[in-house]
Amino acid sequence: MKIVVAYKWASNPQDATVGATGAIDWSRAKPGISEYDPVAVEMARELADATGGEVIGLSAGTAAVNATMARKAALSRRFDRAVIVADDALASSGSTELAAVLAAAVQHIGDVDLVITGDSSIDVGGKMVPTVLAGELGWPAIAEVNSVTGTDGGVRVERATSDGTEVLEISGPAVLAAATDAAVPRLPGMKDILAATKKPVEALTLADLDVPTTAGTVSIKGTARPALKARKGQMIDTTDPAVAAAALVAALRGTGAL
Amino acid sequence: MIGKTWIVVAGDAAVGNLIATARGFGGTVSAAVVGPRAVADTIAGGGVDDVLWFGEPGKAPVEAYAGAVADAIAASPGIVLGPTGPSARVLLGAVAARMQVPVLTGGTTASADGDTVLVTRSVFGGIADEINIVAGPAVLLLDGGQVSAADGSAPVQQVDCTPLGITVVETRPSHLAHVDLGSAVRVIGVGRGLGAKEDLALITELAGASKAEIACTRPIAEGLDWLARDRYIGCSGWNISPEVYFAIGISGQLQHMVGVRGAETIVAINSDPNAPVFAEADYGLVGDLYKIVPALTKALT
Amino acid sequence: MTAGGVPEDIQPEPDFDVVVVGAGVAGCVTAYKLAQQGHSVVLIERGEAAGSKNLSGGVLYSRGMQEIFPNFLDEAPIERRITRNYINFLNADSSVGVDYKDARLADPVNAVTVLRAKLDSWLAEKCEEAGVFVMPGVRVDRVLTTEGPLGKRVVGVKSGDDELRAHVVVAADGVNSFLAQEVGLRPKQPLHHLATGVKAVVNLPRETIEARFNLTGDEGAAYAIVGDCTQGVGGGGFLYTNQTSISIGVVLRLDDLVAKKKSATDIFDHFLSHRFIAPYLEGGEITEYGCHLVAEGGLDMVGEITMDGMVVIGEAAGLTLNTGLTVRGMDLAVASGVAAAAGIDAALREKDTSKVGLGGYRDKLFASFAGQDMKTYGKAPGFLEVERLYKDYGELLANVLYGAFNLDTRPRRHLAAIALRAFRQSPVKIRHLISDAYAGVRAL
Ligand SMILES: Cc1cc2nc3c(=O)[nH]c(=O)nc-3n(C[C@H](O)[C@H](O)[C@H](O)COP(=O)(O)OP(=O)(O)OC[C@H]3O[C@@H](n4cnc5c(N)ncnc54)[C@H](O)[C@@H]3O)c2cc1C
Ligand SMILES: Cc1cc2nc3c(=O)[nH]c(=O)nc-3n(C[C@H](O)[C@H](O)[C@H](O)COP(=O)(O)OP(=O)(O)OC[C@H]3O[C@@H](n4cnc5c(N)ncnc54)[C@H](O)[C@@H]3O)c2cc1C
Ligand SMILES: Nc1ncnc2c1ncn2[C@@H]1O[C@H](COP(=O)(O)O)[C@@H](O)[C@H]1O
Repeated sequence: MKIVVAYKWASNPQDATVGATGAIDWSRAKPGISEYDPVAVEMARELADATGGEVIGLSAGTAAVNATMARKAALSRRFDRAVIVADDALASSGSTELAAVLAAAVQHIGDVDLVITGDSSIDVGGKMVPTVLAGELGWPAIAEVNSVTGTDGGVRVERATSDGTEVLEISGPAVLAAATDAAVPRLPGMKDILAATKKPVEALTLADLDVPTTAGTVSIKGTARPALKARKGQMIDTTDPAVAAAALVAALRGTGAL
Repeated sequence: MIGKTWIVVAGDAAVGNLIATARGFGGTVSAAVVGPRAVADTIAGGGVDDVLWFGEPGKAPVEAYAGAVADAIAASPGIVLGPTGPSARVLLGAVAARMQVPVLTGGTTASADGDTVLVTRSVFGGIADEINIVAGPAVLLLDGGQVSAADGSAPVQQVDCTPLGITVVETRPSHLAHVDLGSAVRVIGVGRGLGAKEDLALITELAGASKAEIACTRPIAEGLDWLARDRYIGCSGWNISPEVYFAIGISGQLQHMVGVRGAETIVAINSDPNAPVFAEADYGLVGDLYKIVPALTKALT
Repeated sequence: MTAGGVPEDIQPEPDFDVVVVGAGVAGCVTAYKLAQQGHSVVLIERGEAAGSKNLSGGVLYSRGMQEIFPNFLDEAPIERRITRNYINFLNADSSVGVDYKDARLADPVNAVTVLRAKLDSWLAEKCEEAGVFVMPGVRVDRVLTTEGPLGKRVVGVKSGDDELRAHVVVAADGVNSFLAQEVGLRPKQPLHHLATGVKAVVNLPRETIEARFNLTGDEGAAYAIVGDCTQGVGGGGFLYTNQTSISIGVVLRLDDLVAKKKSATDIFDHFLSHRFIAPYLEGGEITEYGCHLVAEGGLDMVGEITMDGMVVIGEAAGLTLNTGLTVRGMDLAVASGVAAAAGIDAALREKDTSKVGLGGYRDKLFASFAGQDMKTYGKAPGFLEVERLYKDYGELLANVLYGAFNLDTRPRRHLAAIALRAFRQSPVKIRHLISDAYAGVRAL
């Protein structure tokens, strides 16, 4: 099976600082492989090893995605090779643009049987790139997938629904978004990192791909800091739990919360 | 004045909030309903102008209709609203791709402003808010909400289509109970501070004593599977605004806290005095939940 | 045969000539230099990205860097060039300062402020360019050794199940260097040789910083503060201006903290909210905050720094100086990195990476200003144990000046007289003044 795993090179918003106007300063945040994407890699690796086949890492972003560090970090994961679309024109791209680029790259790779993505990216976290990607490719998509096995000409997946577990069979190529707990990713060791530099990487720019342009129907009017309720920040002494509990209950009854 | 607004319904009629929002835009409101006829009828009675129904699903999951829904909506484009669930996201993704238009997630409010729509979104896991101007077709995700029946019923037109090649071959019902946290007055959130699943009993007792619903952080629902996946709060789960929220054994990471910022009062119980949760709490109790929670239950009964 | 007693041919072929553990200032400099000299080098860092684990910044005496990177000042992510040094005796409700501005400090540039997260990743990039194999996200948890006829020899490092072998391992793993300790090069530090540093970065708009510290362009100010900022605990406080933030912190003697039963963070909070400090930070936002140990033992702390197959550099080798007013370490880390690279290069050429073969490092280190300074300041910690420095002198000075500036209706006295009176009221005795002054002169 030829499996593509889409991984994002992104920074954790928790390391960014937000100015009074809501402007975000990412300079202190160090990008890395987005939190949940290693789960997708693990899921893909296991499937590929079971069915025989390769796992190809695919990422789209600015030049940073193709920096030595970023390549090494990615390829030290359990990919066989990687295709990287690095173009600074993608700096401010939204989910639809990114998905369109990824779809074009999947076409470029050719004969792909399955695309697996993470649940959500650590920065945008919209959970939409995989589904738009599927739309671009005209393939079926399933999100929050817990496990996947190969069938002839397709896959069989399990996912948790609001009232249980559902087993689905998909014929032909598809896009799956792995649930955050679908697999336990392995941390790369020193040997993995050394091996990383020997894996083949194909670096592309937008010029190498045929990407449809997304309608510019949305613009930014402004940004703001989330308005936080003023909190009392009152600490209750807990040396005697019973006393503390009584104090809390009294306080909450006072405010009418109880 | 907005021409046309679509509402995408993915098997579950909980799109009340979306209908209300769409109505606020003025213009016609059409619903594209995937799921049993009953759902289509509920929506038709919920205040939309017309309903496209894609037929009885049978063994096909909602996702199988992504292509058909995309075709139908692309045929008469407009602003497309949809809920945030996994199946809905698949339909909405197909629509966005077919029309090649932007997708807006994390939306909190959306209102018409002349012939554009203003959308306020919580972005980057909630560290900032962004206000967008939507001046044409786009896909917008909003939290669902129950449909309140309106008078009159819109026509339901069936679209015949061939679903994509996905079939449900087996379903195993879970024994985890579900809730509508959206309307809960008091909520107890439990986190990884809880040592074992059995200890949920402590929390259940407190919930009984305080008449509160039980919710959790993501790892408790995904990973530990101690509670149902529709019970976790935060940027990828529920955004709630109860009278009081008890954060028990919860560190207070941004992604969780954004979901409870609407709470009137926040109580934090955590053994680590430096846990970030205390910074967003009205009442903070530093200590072992295994000591404090029973005491609290006792104080309430 | 190497003098280490292990014939090269029975050693498994090393993966690299040199393994450097720790991508701080010291590790990066060594790795960079060695790669430039054509050796194969791997630089291992536990942080996901170089600098990510390091306490943000401070004042870097930049000459050493400029020698390694000719256009360091233009290329490197430096914050400001220090042109203003301010020494501040802080009391509960008075403050006496010496404001030293000097154009000569700016040209040639002598000291700059840096933020480690930025500097370290810049250095790591430089290493990468020079051909170093940079390996972030890996924590070394064992040192591989063999028992040669002449004793223990370091042959590589282990992380998880993976081993990497090298002719030389460089321990650049910072203050509580577990590498140096594991091979017995360094004893577990005695309490009184350690200080704990609490540090924060406070964001402020560029204009605000320039206005509050009267700076223009890329000028920067460095404040060294003693007295009430440490609430009488041995140590000092500092405040450095970056482009759009301020690095502020306290360095406290661990033993004194313990003795006085004070918590470092409480003292730090007290410092931040001090009536004479708070105004500098007003409206700012703390974006980074952390505690970190500093070895401040002067020369006494620098023990064995070489053995067969391994050298110890930077803070791992105890190369930090706490002059009582500021902490120095990055420049010493640079110097030791340069010396180590030279020593290792020679050893690799001679095919003798034994303690003897690596001896060039020690020689070069102590020939360098770093080694000299370690000697000169060797007694600093002793000097810092003099309590009066943190309490009484500030009060004394303040009282003298109070007498001078507090214009009541009484006729002005001669300043000496004022001083004398203030002096009688202060617990400080002439004897102390003299002996401390002497100790101070010798130590600083
Ligand atoms: C893209 C993305 C999206 C995410 N979305 C969400 C989301 O929507 N919702 C969400 O919740 N998380 C989300 N997360 C995860 C989130 O970042 C945190 O990892 C998670 O919220 C932590 O859960 P926790 O507080 O239960 O566990 P921990 O962070 O491990 O906290 C456990 C706490 O319990 C305390 N404790 C331990 N023992 C005791 C005791 N005996 N008594 C009292 N206290 C004790 C500890 O001091 C600690 O503070 C997301 C992460 C990412 C990357
Ligand atoms: C509060 C405070 C203020 C200071 N102010 C100044 C100042 O103004 N000017 C100045 O010159 N100096 C200052 N110093 C001292 C300075 O920070 C240190 O001397 C300097 O960082 C030493 O550099 P280094 O490269 O030797 O060690 P470090 O910078 O500590 O680097 C060690 C690196 O090794 C890594 N590491 C550790 N263990 C492992 C492992 N097992 N595996 C892999 N990697 C590992 C760490 O993550 C780290 O990146 C200050 C120190 C403190 C605490
Ligand atoms: N720029 C990108 N390049 C590659 N994969 C991406 C990119 N953005 C998102 N993804 C994938 O889509 C998943 C969901 O991202 P998001 O829709 O941004 O929450 C991520 O976990 C990745 O697997």
